[in-house]
Amino acid sequence: MSDPRRILEIAELTVATPGAAAPQLDRFSLTLDAGESVVVLGEDGSGKEALVRVLGGFTERSDQISGTIRFANAEARPAAKRARAPIRIAYLPSPLTQPFVAHVGVSGQLSRVVARKLGSPLASAREELRLTLERLDGAPPLSLLNEKPRALDPISTAWGLLACACAQTPDLVLADHPFADLGPTAVRALLSALAAEQQRLGFALLYATGGLQAAARLGRRVVVIRRGRVVEEGDAAKLASGHAHAYTSTLFKALPQLSLDEPKGRSAARGQPLLQVYGLELAAGGRREGITFELRRGASLALVGEEVSGPRELARAVLGLDRAPAGRVVFDAVDLNILSQTMTSRLRRRIAFITGADDALDPRMTLWDVVDEPLRAHLNLAGDLVAGYRETALKRVGLASHEGKRTVATLSAFDKRRLQVARAIVSAPLLAVVDEPLRGLDAFAQTIMREVLTDFRTQQGPAFLVITSDFTVAQALADEAMVFKDKKIVERGPIVDILRAPKDPYTKELIEAVTLLKPDPPG
Amino acid sequence: MLNFAARQTGRFALGLLGAMVLAAAISAIAAPRAPGLGPFLQAAGLRLWAFVQFDFGKSAISGFAAIDELGRRVPATLALVLAGGGVALIVGAPLGLLFGAGPIRRAAAPLMQIVTAAPVFCAGLALAYGAVHLLHWPVSVNAAAAASEPIFSRSPQALEFAALPVLTVGLAGAAAVQLALRRAATESARETFRAGLKHMGLSALEIEWVYAVPQVIAGLLASAGEIVLALLSAAVVAEWVFHRAGAADLFVKSVALQDWNMTALILFIFAGLAFLADFLGRVGAYALVNEGKT
Amino acid sequence: MSDLGTTSDTAPMLRAALRLIGWSGLGLIAVAVALSDFLAHAPAGAAGIGPMLAAPSSAYPLGTDLLGRDVLSETLHGLSVTVGHALVAALVAIAVGGLLGAVAARLPRLAGLTLRGTMGVLAAIPALLLAILAIGLSARLYAPLAAGLAAAPLAFVRAYDRVEGQSGSTYAEYARATGIAVATLLRRDLTYEFRGTLATVAARALAAVTIILSTVSFLGFGATPPARDLGLMIAAAKANFFHAWWAGAFPAFALIVLILCARLAAGLDEGERP
Repeated sequence: MSDPRRILEIAELTVATPGAAAPQLDRFSLTLDAGESVVVLGEDGSGKEALVRVLGGFTERSDQISGTIRFANAEARPAAKRARAPIRIAYLPSPLTQPFVAHVGVSGQLSRVVARKLGSPLASAREELRLTLERLDGAPPLSLLNEKPRALDPISTAWGLLACACAQTPDLVLADHPFADLGPTAVRALLSALAAEQQRLGFALLYATGGLQAAARLGRRVVVIRRGRVVEEGDAAKLASGHAHAYTSTLFKALPQLSLDEPKGRSAARGQPLLQVYGLELAAGGRREGITFELRRGASLALVGEEVSGPRELARAVLGLDRAPAGRVVFDAVDLNILSQTMTSRLRRRIAFITGADDALDPRMTLWDVVDEPLRAHLNLAGDLVAGYRETALKRVGLASHEGKRTVATLSAFDKRRLQVARAIVSAPLLAVVDEPLRGLDAFAQTIMREVLTDFRTQQGPAFLVITSDFTVAQALADEAMVFKDKKIVERGPIVDILRAPKDPYTKELIEAVTLLKPDPPG
Repeated sequence: MLNFAARQTGRFALGLLGAMVLAAAISAIAAPRAPGLGPFLQAAGLRLWAFVQFDFGKSAISGFAAIDELGRRVPATLALVLAGGGVALIVGAPLGLLFGAGPIRRAAAPLMQIVTAAPVFCAGLALAYGAVHLLHWPVSVNAAAAASEPIFSRSPQALEFAALPVLTVGLAGAAAVQLALRRAATESARETFRAGLKHMGLSALEIEWVYAVPQVIAGLLASAGEIVLALLSAAVVAEWVFHRAGAADLFVKSVALQDWNMTALILFIFAGLAFLADFLGRVGAYALVNEGKT
Repeated sequence: MSDLGTTSDTAPMLRAALRLIGWSGLGLIAVAVALSDFLAHAPAGAAGIGPMLAAPSSAYPLGTDLLGRDVLSETLHGLSVTVGHALVAALVAIAVGGLLGAVAARLPRLAGLTLRGTMGVLAAIPALLLAILAIGLSARLYAPLAAGLAAAPLAFVRAYDRVEGQSGSTYAEYARATGIAVATLLRRDLTYEFRGTLATVAARALAAVTIILSTVSFLGFGATPPARDLGLMIAAAKANFFHAWWAGAFPAFALIVLILCARLAAGLDEGERP
């Protein structure tokens, strides 16, 4: 190899599965130098997963692989050959893939990985990990990572994984959707730390992702891949400029942008109060001031903040899923804490949940049963009517062509998300609680999901209570917002006003985290 | 750990209390009382109070204190269960671990079904037949010849008499042991950490040895209650088939002769053993996986 | 009675093939039971048909027993009795155990926990002992009923734990938060736990209660003469087992085949403990 900085050279890599119509990866070629990063951007199933498998050395038995790979100064070898790479490759997974043993502390497992990769004793590896964590700006201390995986939040785990990869002093970091769905401020901090470490250690970085945030932040070099083939390559700014391949342009259009325009066609709430919260406390023994707000019929409110900062806890307390230490919740003029479970059950039928958690639907139920249940249970409708309403709802969310007898367990995350909306449609709720609806979806799916939710809100007009850490999602689905930090409201008001002139530094941080491209000036 | 142990202790205590209430109700059948639910409940309450004071009444058959009668019989059953448990671990553990992982699991499952389909008494009689015709051992199937010989005796003849009931109980226990291990191994194999840690660079052997094996052993410990129940159930049959004078054999006779005091006491002892095994197993399993080295 | 404690991780085709073998076997057994009066050479319990303890021969394919009864005929009749009793016992176990357990998990917490605790105590006693106790307490309660009741506590506990585990699940939480009533959740449990798995549940119950019934009969608490089931036949053959093995071996073989077919039909889980 002539260039001593060349770390990776892939030539005509093809990965096929027997019986599949097209290969997962088709004649893919790439070169990567030390200190250079490339973002491989594509939807689920575009081929980036196959690329990571081959480079990481964990291909599946059914993979038929051809092409060559050359690492650093070694000879090019057939990509199908499973041999130890002559360079140090660190694999960086997503914490949401649950890569740890449940009953052992995370730090111990990370230390073991570092020890194995460095060939050093466990104690030295642990020390190396500790030092790396200290170096990373924003990372928790090693002592926090002594907890078991379930006790840790995904962001802390992501920091641990990043530190583990960097502590290995790698030549190449293989980042496999590592920060997907972690919240924009966390992703921003993690990506900054990764970039800083790359500069310090000089490793090459191959970052596979379906989201646009990493492409926009790391994006000196972006390879757009679709159906196994490279569509386009360039830097993020050029790809987002509109002067690009049609597919690339469509992909980057999905990049949500904050707008400073007044919301059109969604007037300020004029309906009667629907949800009234008085003095609700989220933490026991704290200060006396609780949270007080009101949501009117047809209005929309976003609770914006990172995980465990308060929005989800507030929503759960408001809806009676968790008991708040103090406060009152009045829904449709009825205090929910006073009535019996039977009476509140009747009221709760007017509430719909749409959440990014995959376990929100009963996995045993069929697709049709999920939509039919509210109609049969609440309205006692006959078969023909039920079928009609079901058909309409499924068409609106784009699931009408799916086999109705399929169980929820066999559906993709995108299908499950839309199915929740279909169920909400037939319930005709007064209030829709929408909790991180775009989590776990790739760029295209996110766009469609935004449209589905907006259509639902426009057509049926329920009040929307949106829980999110992303201001673009908040703006797409709501007109007003309350920003949370450490279970306190730090700012509230119309979203446009907040975006134009954020007062609190944390609010500014949240806005900057999603400002990947400059927002449009006020119309 | 302390929280978990406290919860399990509470569960154990409640279980024992429930077993005591059940035993008192059974024992109340034998108590002299007027007909009707009220008098029965009163008698049961009195029997429960007596149990709390360690008064378990008299055997209707022998006239002696039930606890004394049981004290003569329980050691034999305990010895049988312990010895059988040892055989169960020796036979069942390798089967469970060997057939619990990898492609061999697919072939093993139907074989295990065939082997474990035989009821305990059929297995016992088959073993006896083999012992008589192949090994020419003395067998106590149709006579109580050496029924009084203890299991852990040094006499060769006593060992020969003891071998068959121990094997019968042990093989029944082995079925439960291998099931528990295979179940734990299957659950462990489904976890996502194997792929995650392997992709990050740990070897398959290291993952299995450091992380998976403790999980599997913990699964076995957590099933201790079920295994003890299988052993006890097999002990009832083995003592009857091989004429061993143990508590299990006494239970069958007590029910046949309607000695309810004795029946109640034996039931309580058996339930207590099962609850104790379950308690120790759960705490052990928790300690192994949650308090092990990182 | 659901598949808690499954060990299956086997290729779907192999599982389907084994299930087919199991159900086919049960089908053949059902045919043999239905035609037992035609297939048997002699009526049930007919003594003196042939010489005492005759070895298997062309005249008596499975030999004769101590009273000169044809072992083939007796095995067929015994199989009929065993299968009939086992079906009744399985029904009782499913109804009292599985269904009640699922319902109890949806009752108000105190009521559910009380039932769970009571059944937990009973489940801590070997089902065999419970069956013997039930028969003894009730002066010879119909043995299948006793066997079914004895198997019910474990079935109850498993069904309860499974359904109750789902109560704490996220989707159950969301369902309650959106006004789905307990009755609807219960309907879901019964529909999805039992629909499509009723045959599996029944087969698993059949295997478990057959073991209990045959053992209880072997110990002398089950079927009483002249009705002889397989357990009683094996017990009667015990006295001469070592020199006339056929009188006990063939009924034992028939019993094992019945249990094995029921277990294979239920899937690859080992099912209930004896």
